[in-house]
Amino acid sequence: MPRVTLENLADYARYVLAQAESCSANYPLTRAVRLPGLTLTAQLNPGGLADAVASGFIAARDDEAPADACRIFVAHPGIDGIAAPESWGNSPFTQHGFASRLAEAGLRGNHYHDLDFWQFYDPDRRVGVQLMTAEDSFPPWEPGAPLRPFLHWEYAARGMRLAHAGSLGIGGKGVLLAGSGGAGKSGTVVAGLLNGLDSVGDDYVLIDLAEDVTAHPLFATLKQDPEGFRRLGLKERLGSHGPLNWQGKYQFRVDDIAARPIPGRLDMIALMVPHISGGEASSITPVSRKDAMIALAPSGIAQMPGERESGFRFFSDLTRRLPCYRLSLGTRPDEIAGTIADFITRGAP
Amino acid sequence: MRESGIYAIASKDIVFESFDGEAVVLDLTTGKYFGFSDSGSRLWDALSSGVPAAELSGAVTGAGPLSTADIDGFVSQLLEFGLLAAVSDAAAQPLSGALLAQLADTTEPLKVDIHDDLADLIVVDPIHEVEEPLGWPALKQAT
Repeated sequence: MPRVTLENLADYARYVLAQAESCSANYPLTRAVRLPGLTLTAQLNPGGLADAVASGFIAARDDEAPADACRIFVAHPGIDGIAAPESWGNSPFTQHGFASRLAEAGLRGNHYHDLDFWQFYDPDRRVGVQLMTAEDSFPPWEPGAPLRPFLHWEYAARGMRLAHAGSLGIGGKGVLLAGSGGAGKSGTVVAGLLNGLDSVGDDYVLIDLAEDVTAHPLFATLKQDPEGFRRLGLKERLGSHGPLNWQGKYQFRVDDIAARPIPGRLDMIALMVPHISGGEASSITPVSRKDAMIALAPSGIAQMPGERESGFRFFSDLTRRLPCYRLSLGTRPDEIAGTIADFITRGAP
Repeated sequence: MRESGIYAIASKDIVFESFDGEAVVLDLTTGKYFGFSDSGSRLWDALSSGVPAAELSGAVTGAGPLSTADIDGFVSQLLEFGLLAAVSDAAAQPLSGALLAQLADTTEPLKVDIHDDLADLIVVDPIHEVEEPLGWPALKQAT
C-alpha cells in the first residue's frame, strides 16, 4: 500500500480535513480565542493542549476590527470516526518539497515524523486539522505556542507574518528584537517588562506591513533558562512557577510581569539585533541591513512551515522599512531597559 | 575559465534581495542563506545577469584589481553552493560602466558567507513494513 508520499500528499490532506470536519460533533471541547482580526475556534479534548489554547494567547480587545473565523480540529483516533494517522513513506522528505506540493493544491501543511503528527490547513475555507496518534501525542514545543503553524498560514494568506522576534515598547512605539536562540532576545524582553516597558511578545510576534510596521501580540508565554530566571529575579517576583519545559526553561506569562495591560499593537521604529557583549553598559549602534536581515529572517522562515519565498520577501521589506541597529547588552536589567526606553523616546541612539 | 564563462541563477528556487547594495540569497530548497560582501554583491549582480566571468577580470575594487584567480575562486564557490549554473546558449551581457563604478566604491574583499545552521535536514524515513490502507483512498503506487 502507499504510505504518504509527495504523490498522494494532497489527497491525504483533503481526506484528513474532510474526516475531521465530518466528526465535528464528536470533539469533547470547543475553545474560542479572539486574536488580531481573527477568531480561532479549536475543537479538541480536555488536557494539556486545551489548557494551552485557553491560557497561551493574548486575547485581542473587543474594540478591534471585526474578525474572520477559522476552525481547527485537534483530532486523534480516540475521537469517534477519526482514523489513525498515516506515516510518511520511504521517500525523501524535504520541507520545501512538502510545502510546495500542498501549495499547488491550495493547501498548507506540516509533518513531524517522530510522532506521525500532521497539520493541514485550507486557507480558502479557513479550516485546519491537527492529527495525532493520541490526544497527548504532540511535540513538546506545541503548548508554548499552540497551533502556531495554522496562525502562520492564516496570517500569511492575508499578507501578515509571524516573526521569530521579541518586542519592547513605550508609549505605543517599539523596537523589534531579532536574532537566533541565545542572542539575548528573551532576557532583553523580560528586563524591559520588569522595568516598566511594554511588549507584544518575546518569541513570536505578528507583523503587519500594510501601512507602518506594526507588531501585535499572539502568544502569552515567556521563557527563561534557570540562569536568566535567577539573574532577573523572577523566582522572587513570580513566587511560584511550574516545572522546566522541554528546553529546560521556565515558562510564565507576559502579564505575570508586565506593569500594564498588553498593548494591542506597537508601532515599530527600529529593528535591533541584540548580542551579549560582556560589557558593563548597553549601547546601540547602526548595523547593516544585510546583517539585520540575516538575524531576522532565517529562524523565522525555518520555524514556520511553507510560505518560504513570501516570507523572504516579507522580511526583506520589513528590514528595508526600519532603521537597523546592534544592541550590545550590558549586565544590569534596569540599565538595558533604560537604554531601550531612551532610544524609543528619542527615536535614535 | 569554464566553458563560455556565462552563468545564470541556478534555479527558480534561488531567490535574492539586495540591502543597500549587499545581496542576501536564499536557497528555498535547502533553507540555506548566503550573505555577500559589497564586492561579492557586485559580482553576483554581474554574473547572475549574464556578464561573462572573463569580463570581470581586472576590474578594480576598493581592495584592488580582481585577478582571474579571484574571479575563478568566487565563481567556483557559487557553483559549489548551487547558486549559479553555467549556461552555453545565453548571449553575453556587457559589463556596464555603472557596475564598474560601483565595484570601485566597494570596501570589502570578495566574500560570500553561508548561514546554514537552521537549514533543513533532508529526512529520509526508515523503510518499514507497510500494511493495507485504512480509511483513506488508496492511490495508485508509482511503479
